[in-house]
Amino acid sequence: MRLVFEGGNRTYEIELIQSGDSYRFVIGDRGLDLERVHAGGGRLDLLLEGTPLTAFVSRDGAKRWVTVNGRTYQLTKSSGARRGGAATGGQNTLLAPMPGQVLAVNVEVGDQVSTGQTLLLLEAMKMEIRVQAPRDGVVKRLRVAQGQTVEREQVLLEIGD
Amino acid sequence: MFSKVLIANRGEIALRVMRACRELGIQTVAVYSEADANALHVRQADQAVWIGPSAPRESYLNSEKIISAAKASGAEAVHPGYGFLSENADFAEAVESAGLTFIGPPPAAIRAMGDKAESKVRMQAAGVPTVPGMQGLEAVAEFERAAAQIGFPVLIKAAAGGGGKGMRIVWDEHDLPEDLDAARREALNAFGDERLLVEKYLPKAHHIEFQVFGDQHGHLVHLFERECSVQRRHQKIIEETPSPIITPVLRERMGAAALAAAGAVGYTNAGTVEFILDPDSLDFYFLEMNTRLQVEHPITELVVGLDLVHWQLRVAAGQAFPYQQGQLSQRGHAIECRLYAEDPAAGFLPSTGDLLQFSLPRGPGIRLDSGVTSGSQVGHFYDPLLAKLIVQAEDRPAAIQRMQTALHEGVIHGLTSNLDFLQDVLSHPDFLAGNVTTSWVERTFENWSQPEVAPEALLAAALADLLPASASTNENQPESTAPDPFNPWTEANGFRLGGG
Repeated sequence: MRLVFEGGNRTYEIELIQSGDSYRFVIGDRGLDLERVHAGGGRLDLLLEGTPLTAFVSRDGAKRWVTVNGRTYQLTKSSGARRGGAATGGQNTLLAPMPGQVLAVNVEVGDQVSTGQTLLLLEAMKMEIRVQAPRDGVVKRLRVAQGQTVEREQVLLEIGD
Repeated sequence: MFSKVLIANRGEIALRVMRACRELGIQTVAVYSEADANALHVRQADQAVWIGPSAPRESYLNSEKIISAAKASGAEAVHPGYGFLSENADFAEAVESAGLTFIGPPPAAIRAMGDKAESKVRMQAAGVPTVPGMQGLEAVAEFERAAAQIGFPVLIKAAAGGGGKGMRIVWDEHDLPEDLDAARREALNAFGDERLLVEKYLPKAHHIEFQVFGDQHGHLVHLFERECSVQRRHQKIIEETPSPIITPVLRERMGAAALAAAGAVGYTNAGTVEFILDPDSLDFYFLEMNTRLQVEHPITELVVGLDLVHWQLRVAAGQAFPYQQGQLSQRGHAIECRLYAEDPAAGFLPSTGDLLQFSLPRGPGIRLDSGVTSGSQVGHFYDPLLAKLIVQAEDRPAAIQRMQTALHEGVIHGLTSNLDFLQDVLSHPDFLAGNVTTSWVERTFENWSQPEVAPEALLAAALADLLPASASTNENQPESTAPDPFNPWTEANGFRLGGG
């Protein structure tokens, strides 16, 4: 079984081969043998190359949270297809850095803005965050209004030339 | 003693206070907003009253609604917790005018200390050393003149409150106008008061605070210090006691200053006098007094051996605090780590989500004060504090080791937390050496990021995908917005694969 996960701006391709009671796990040129599995309640107890390993796994849609050896990783399961289409999160598109409420919108479509200028103010958990222009340009699109609730990584506005 | 107390708060502190009430045979009344309808504190209380929509100003900051809830439920006293209305003198006064007891200091003491400008003047009069600064300024130009006179960097802060809200470090006069604007808005939002003051900012200082405790019979003691220098955004993330840099002589001097500060305003009940300490000269300055129970009170409880919330309730009911200063001592070492829903790799921005798994270990010397559990929803309306993990051991190295081991066993899934970050802080040589100042976190961990994904993590993710979902993972409904995101826990019955 071939699986692709994305995490920390990298893509990982994994091959998991079941043979009888054990599994072989291949990533890149590395192969690891898994011998025994107990699974339940979001917890996996494994023997990896003969050494006990405990992992905690949760999922929400394509998202995976995995904790092993005291570290938690966030992964996204992917179909493996290259991500194409409209670019998001680039220099031209400003995304909400956190979920919260739009406190103020300081610009309008068509406004000329310069690097570092505060375009929007967001508030979450009583904290105020300035969303600043990453470059000089013109506000092409405004996707949010004052008072609106936004999710993390929701598009706020677009800057063009 | 009271027979019923209303807790005007939410999250872990509401649960902490309820536990103390239950131990003393007191009935509890919770208040809650729309967003908290399913919150733990609502379920734990004997009675719960809905007080309004999710926005704090319409619920947890609405004193009228809280006082009506107290009256309607037959509570005799109100415990404010920390944050929200806990340091609002008008609220404390309104509680008392309504014939109820406010579990905290007298409103006059809150008012005197709550006004950071006024308190500074009073502290100077009481002989307590204070930070050079200026107050009573309004126009931007006045602030500019004052800042230039004091010398950059300066700290602007809300005259009305603490907790890092409405607080900005300004390194350069160029940033002053915009920072003033933002601080004013934050201050107005958090405290309903936009007055600001400006002070000299000491980038290399320890934050050391003293717990004080007084009864209504004129007896006031201090319960030693807490070292709270591990901060981000002026908010503490790790606290410990004893402080690794305080000597017995300095402890005595600072303790005496703390008592002078509290005594000057006729303080009773639990309070904290905060100082900043220059580690080179060992000069210390009064920063502010928090006229309430502090988030980090458990480390004092563990080292001094007193239950501060019990005593808050007892003293508010008129009982005498029985311990003299000479009878109190520190035993062993305690550390608290604050578990926050935030992303240390992205400027500590708050994160939200449904907690798919939330598990922290219990064991000898380990205490967990938590406001959430697996399945809790963490929204954007309130403070991102999830829980506090507190350990106690014989000495500092043993306490650090105990905390490290406990954090290592923690699992928080469903949102981004600072669990891994805390482990890196605790294992840093500067922290181990006790050599941490208030700007250390931001300086040392500016480019902190998660390590590359470990092969073991990929393997576990892959294997979990191969196994039946209910057995191997804790799964949320795909693309679901259902309020109760999961129940596969109920089917977790040790599904087993392979030989053995």
